[in-house]
Amino acid sequence: MTRDELYHIAENWFQQQDWKPFPFQKKTWQAFLQGKHGLLNAPTGSGKTYALWFPIVLHYIKKNPEYRTKHKKGLKAIWITPLRALSLEIKQSAERITEDLGTQMTVGIRTGDTSTKERAQQKKLMPDLLITTPESLQLLLATKGYDRIFKDCTAIVVDEWHELLGTKRGVQMELGLSRLRSVAKNLRIWGISATIGNLDQARQVLLGPNSNALENSVMIKAKLNKKITVKSIIPKEMETFPWRGHLGLRLLEEVIPIINNSKTTLLFTNTRSQCEIWFQKILEKHPEYAGEMAMHHGSINKETRLWVEQAIRNESLKAVVCTSSLDLGVDFAPVETVVQIGGPKGVARFLQRAGRSGHRPGKESVIYFLPTHALELVEASALQQAVKQLAVEDRIPYLNSFDVLLQYLTTLAVSDGFYPDEIFPEIQQTFCYQAMSKDQWQWLLNFLVLGSQSLQTYDEYKKVEIEEDGKFKVNNRGVAMRHRFQIGTIVGDANLTVRYQKGGYIGSVEESFISKMTQGDVFTFAGRNLEFIRIKDMQVHVRNSSKKTNKVPSWMGGRLTLSAQMSELLRNELYSAGLDKKNQSVEIRSLSPLFDRQRIESIVPNSQEFLIETFKTRDGYHHIFYPFEGRFVHEAMGSLLGYRISLLFPITFSLAFNDYGFELLSDKEIDIQQVIDNNLFSKDYLLEDLQKSLNSTEMARRKFRDIAVISGLVFTGYPNKGIKMKHLQSNSQLLFDVFRDYEPDNLLFQQAFTETFEHQLEEGRLRLALERIAIQEIVWKACKKPTPFSFPIITDRLREKLSSEKLADRIKRMTAMLMKRR
Amino acid sequence: MNTQSTLIRNQTIIFHPSGTLFWEEKSMLLISDVHLGKVSHFRKFGAAVPWNAITRNFELMDEAINFFSPEEVVFLGDLFHSSLNSEWKLFEQWMATVISKVILVAGNHDIISPLKYENLGIDVLSEMISDEFLLTHHPEERDGYFNFSGHIHPAIRLRGEGRQSLRLPCFFKSTNQMILPAFGTFTGSHILEPKHDNEVYAITEDAVFKIELSIPNRGRHFS
Repeated sequence: MTRDELYHIAENWFQQQDWKPFPFQKKTWQAFLQGKHGLLNAPTGSGKTYALWFPIVLHYIKKNPEYRTKHKKGLKAIWITPLRALSLEIKQSAERITEDLGTQMTVGIRTGDTSTKERAQQKKLMPDLLITTPESLQLLLATKGYDRIFKDCTAIVVDEWHELLGTKRGVQMELGLSRLRSVAKNLRIWGISATIGNLDQARQVLLGPNSNALENSVMIKAKLNKKITVKSIIPKEMETFPWRGHLGLRLLEEVIPIINNSKTTLLFTNTRSQCEIWFQKILEKHPEYAGEMAMHHGSINKETRLWVEQAIRNESLKAVVCTSSLDLGVDFAPVETVVQIGGPKGVARFLQRAGRSGHRPGKESVIYFLPTHALELVEASALQQAVKQLAVEDRIPYLNSFDVLLQYLTTLAVSDGFYPDEIFPEIQQTFCYQAMSKDQWQWLLNFLVLGSQSLQTYDEYKKVEIEEDGKFKVNNRGVAMRHRFQIGTIVGDANLTVRYQKGGYIGSVEESFISKMTQGDVFTFAGRNLEFIRIKDMQVHVRNSSKKTNKVPSWMGGRLTLSAQMSELLRNELYSAGLDKKNQSVEIRSLSPLFDRQRIESIVPNSQEFLIETFKTRDGYHHIFYPFEGRFVHEAMGSLLGYRISLLFPITFSLAFNDYGFELLSDKEIDIQQVIDNNLFSKDYLLEDLQKSLNSTEMARRKFRDIAVISGLVFTGYPNKGIKMKHLQSNSQLLFDVFRDYEPDNLLFQQAFTETFEHQLEEGRLRLALERIAIQEIVWKACKKPTPFSFPIITDRLREKLSSEKLADRIKRMTAMLMKRR
Repeated sequence: MNTQSTLIRNQTIIFHPSGTLFWEEKSMLLISDVHLGKVSHFRKFGAAVPWNAITRNFELMDEAINFFSPEEVVFLGDLFHSSLNSEWKLFEQWMATVISKVILVAGNHDIISPLKYENLGIDVLSEMISDEFLLTHHPEERDGYFNFSGHIHPAIRLRGEGRQSLRLPCFFKSTNQMILPAFGTFTGSHILEPKHDNEVYAITEDAVFKIELSIPNRGRHFS
């Protein structure tokens, strides 16, 4: 069959649906059938699934002209989705094609939700098209004889690649691809990504920076001109609008008319707890929505989530309060309006959410921005600009993630074993490990076999063994079993499932929340008030309660930062406070009462000024700095400055930061004049000082947590399987100390520091920020009390610590609190 | 080394930064929760905890013993974390260098046969009574006795102005009870909240500090 005949089949199908293929879809078909690899840049719901499922099926038709009568069994293509919740949707669109075109191809799903029975069947005979997650793909690599499964696979599509890029799951994917490329000789690799700042790099990471695949690849962009309108919800009384906070409930009533005026409204919140609270409060104030409103977040059980998604499609819901769980996939045509509650911390994400409304090509998208505190209106104003300029962020890919590599190598050792000489070149071709040295590689191999670098007498370390012919292999069944369970744990805290006593799964919560509960406590979860009964077998037993409560589970989640571009937009908006009202955005204009308050004791800086405020409260001496550079840069600058001050005299700080500035809080007063006179904002010795400051804070320690879990140093147990491995559980904090004291040159321990540097501190941006400050005039305001700008920062409880004092001196000034009487 | 001492029922008790406690009149050194064998246990199951942490345990025990030169060394339980593994060999070698009489008050982790200990000249007891002092692994209240114990791995959270806080392992004393901190290099700790009748001695690398207790402020200032 010629290529034209094949296109004809596809176009016919589109005609039958009364559709017309988009140019980007046609381009993708063509490139795929020409044997190219590529990256497709297309937003959710644009028809991207048809852009790639079609050529996959057409390719099969081409190779098997008698496809209607004769069927060749075995895996032909893999579709990777980062969220298993999306797999059903993808399967349905694939089945439409395979059936309508009269092939006998089968489509199957393999995720953590797939039953053991089905998995076993799949292992015997794989479906022709397999939809799976990065973790489940790794698990397949941990299967004996996996090369036979993948041998005839012709395509792998990594959907929502932007979500994986810049995470360790992305690294896991890179490694998986490096192996599949060798096993399946005719594999085409395709990625699908929403718009991000570094699309070209995204393609490099997917295909390998120096690979033939990259050379033989294309980038296809779906140019769907979509108009996005951002409307800020502006508080009617700015005088009483709070200066801090993150819930935004103050403006709840403003949302009601928006909900009433549209068919379906999605309300995006930033955290699951915020989602719970909003849902609860709207129903409390407006019981008339009962039955017409729902909630959707990642910890709610799958059935409920699917029900909600279906209900949105049926237009049977008026409003859905949700989190990023509805960011991806799932086409919801009927959504008319989207409300973003609180700063979205990312232009790409904001655009994606906006795109949820008017979800048809050509339709206008409307998104409302609801500020949770006054200063967020500046962010709202900056977002307007960002949307106009499409100032989307980069996703920074990881380099040299030794933890993920160790996990991967163990995976290979568990299945068929591996020969280092065969695997090393594959790994070197990936983006993540392109600069890995031979020494580092040797270290990793030693670590797998010996558990460190040298053989000790009496050591019984057991993991990977080297067989006579040099093959690295896991022969111990216990090690293999534990490793398979560990593969899914690239993310997360220990999660406990929440169930009714008589059964009935409600969702999952983090252990840290539930450990503070005692019997009889009531908490809100999944929109219900639940009474805590007990924890048994890693399950939380609850019953319904009518008692009121304000306890809502919190989930730790990555805190995102403003990008360089967005920070600049934010500063410019803020500087416009000094302009004539005519030249201000409506948001900035509405903030004038707040700016007036700020100006009583301090200033609203202009582009030439760098503001420092100091004041004392019962908490101690506050020293606040306002670079307006985003929280990560502030975290870095805060610890840098804290460290440099601590060299002048012994002092202890607690550091807080947000997207506007950072605070050094101490029990002693710092003379800011000394900071200025000693030129402590200098960029000289930046790297050394930053490194040293890192040693005195806790940042690396927190990074180590994930590293320890991924590399298999900490065993998390099998919460969902009800299997406890208490005798092997240890905590990563303890492990961090043990490594620091006894094996500081361990690559995994070192990795915690490199990661903090590359992914947390953004040294490059810090340098630019310092350069900017160097040409600004430093304005130091000694205030009598907290200013409006300072409020969101000083009330932040999440803090870093930094000290140059002797422990003994600190202990002498500290006390232990007596237990409160109950 | 900066120690602290106190009188309990007219007996002199000295706290050592290593987390050991010396009863001067009896020349008795108390050590609790060493958890030997834990590192090896983890390693045997494929978790590469640094091997050097093992040797450090023995060095630290030597330091404490050399400092006090006790006639008796009493382990207050959880001396060995797991079933028998290769660390036992190292323990045997270490025992050969110890001149003091050694006693083990067994704890929940001590599942190795007492015979193995007795072969090394160690008496294994479920509890030990000396005058009006009761030595156990689990904290216990018994009329007329003062109890020395371990098991809890106590630590204390210190707070200071400027939202400072510190967490330190400690000796935790109530009217009739003293809980020792965990000695081992690979053991965690558990924060205890003191009441009025408690005394707390926190340990750092080279010193012991008696901790001042204070009444918490109520409420937050900004909310």
